[in-house]
Amino acid sequence: MALTDSPAESGVVTDSDSKIAVDSLSKRYEVRGEAVTALDDVSFEVADGEFLCIVGPSGCGKTTLFRAIAGLEAPSEGGVYVDDERVTEPGIDRGMVFQNYALFPWRTVRGNIRFGLDRPTCECPDCEQRVQELVDLVGLSGFEDAYPKELSGGMKQRVGIARALAVDPDVLLMDEPFGSLDPNTRDTLHGELLDIWRATNKTILFVTHEVEEAVTLADRILVMAADPGRVDDVVDVSLDRPRQRTDIEFVEYVSDIRERLGQ
Amino acid sequence: MSLGTATDGDDETSVLGLFEDSSPLRLGRGAIGLTAFLVVWWAGAQVTTPSYLLPGPIASATAFVDLFTESTPVALPLVGNVAIPVGLFKLGQSLLHYIPGVLLGATGGIALGVTMGWSGRLDDYLTPLVRILRPIPPLAWVVFAILWFGIHHTGAAFIVFVGAFWINFYGAYSGVEGVSTDYTEVASSLGVETDWQMIRLVMLPAAAPSVLTAFRTSIGRCWMIVVGAELFGAPGVGYEIINASNNLAVDTSVAYIFVISLVYVGMDVCFRTFERRVLAWR
Repeated sequence: MALTDSPAESGVVTDSDSKIAVDSLSKRYEVRGEAVTALDDVSFEVADGEFLCIVGPSGCGKTTLFRAIAGLEAPSEGGVYVDDERVTEPGIDRGMVFQNYALFPWRTVRGNIRFGLDRPTCECPDCEQRVQELVDLVGLSGFEDAYPKELSGGMKQRVGIARALAVDPDVLLMDEPFGSLDPNTRDTLHGELLDIWRATNKTILFVTHEVEEAVTLADRILVMAADPGRVDDVVDVSLDRPRQRTDIEFVEYVSDIRERLGQ
Repeated sequence: MSLGTATDGDDETSVLGLFEDSSPLRLGRGAIGLTAFLVVWWAGAQVTTPSYLLPGPIASATAFVDLFTESTPVALPLVGNVAIPVGLFKLGQSLLHYIPGVLLGATGGIALGVTMGWSGRLDDYLTPLVRILRPIPPLAWVVFAILWFGIHHTGAAFIVFVGAFWINFYGAYSGVEGVSTDYTEVASSLGVETDWQMIRLVMLPAAAPSVLTAFRTSIGRCWMIVVGAELFGAPGVGYEIINASNNLAVDTSVAYIFVISLVYVGMDVCFRTFERRVLAWR
């Protein structure tokens, strides 16, 4: 799924093929009277159904970018568009998955997944069945009535993903979702996430600082640089899935990006 | 038995440990401690003259039994005159102050606490006022209780209301303020739009531990307040404590003190069970 290779320069938002368009996005903060530029003129597009990873060192503004796309933070300049509509607040078209899971501890697995379906606006004829399908999709059958405190990290994040998917968002925004998990669990969840992605055709925007994780998952990788936060490079990952970390090409992608990041 | 004065009632869990950790060793030691206390009390009562200065355990227990065997005729609405054990009657009078005071105070306090914790603007307006009003001991309001309601049931209930209000206010306020923005952010990405939906679906359940802890604290604290309020003359157990001692029937005073202790322990155990069930997710 090859797209433009020079997104930092392309500021025009007309491509109706794109699901998400970030247009000349800048974000500045005041920190003790001094202006800090978290994001400086960031532009890129994400195609419908694409799996895009954002990698960068800490302080490169990737979380700020995530929050701007989620609608949790207003940009200082420029804007974010989903389906050509400007993002101003969070919405059910963009599901969110966080590193710390952010599950509602007072709700069971079923209750968490059901949360988004309990809205008055919800149009699902059979919520009960939809919840069960999601439980099955993320492999948590038998744990429907467990509370988050009873689950392992990997299971918690499966709930987090199922909860986000419940309202059937077109876009899944994931902020280092597997960052707190051990390597084995993370590998398993990479496979599961790719299966879910293929089964649901979601557009996924996945923030990480792990280059290997990005190369494992992404169609394209947005490489960011810090001070000020900006897009440094965009890498098309033209490897077949499932990808083997020992493949020579895989290793080359990783080392190229690492070099880019100065690691 | 300390009734605990800390607002963070979780530190009080040892107060009723006797009822929760029932290992034989612990129960045995508890029995020894209790027996030792009774012996010292009894011995002290034996050597104290005049004897009414310290009624012994047996005299007090007898007075306690009398409270529930001696009846007094009470005119009840609808049913007419009924003979009710005097202890039960006085307890009923106290509950007439206690229950409305606690329930209304908790409702009002939780409502204001949640609203102020949720709305930054209201918080700005009211915080200075709250800082001034909150430290006032509930019993200081007795002046206005007498002026506004007269020192009878309503006045005593009003003082209990004030006490319950602030304890529950603070529990709800700090509970709502402490709710992680992660929850509200996730909720808004899942379609929660109005303030009321957010309060009902996220704020209240997330703040529930803090709200319930404060309510449990107010259950205990309000028994102290109700006794204090009744010492000023409102009829009830608190009034009987001072009244009996004025008549030199100090053993009856001790019996009424037991009544309060037992009722409080009973309420606390019930609420704890309820709390544990509701907060099973913790």
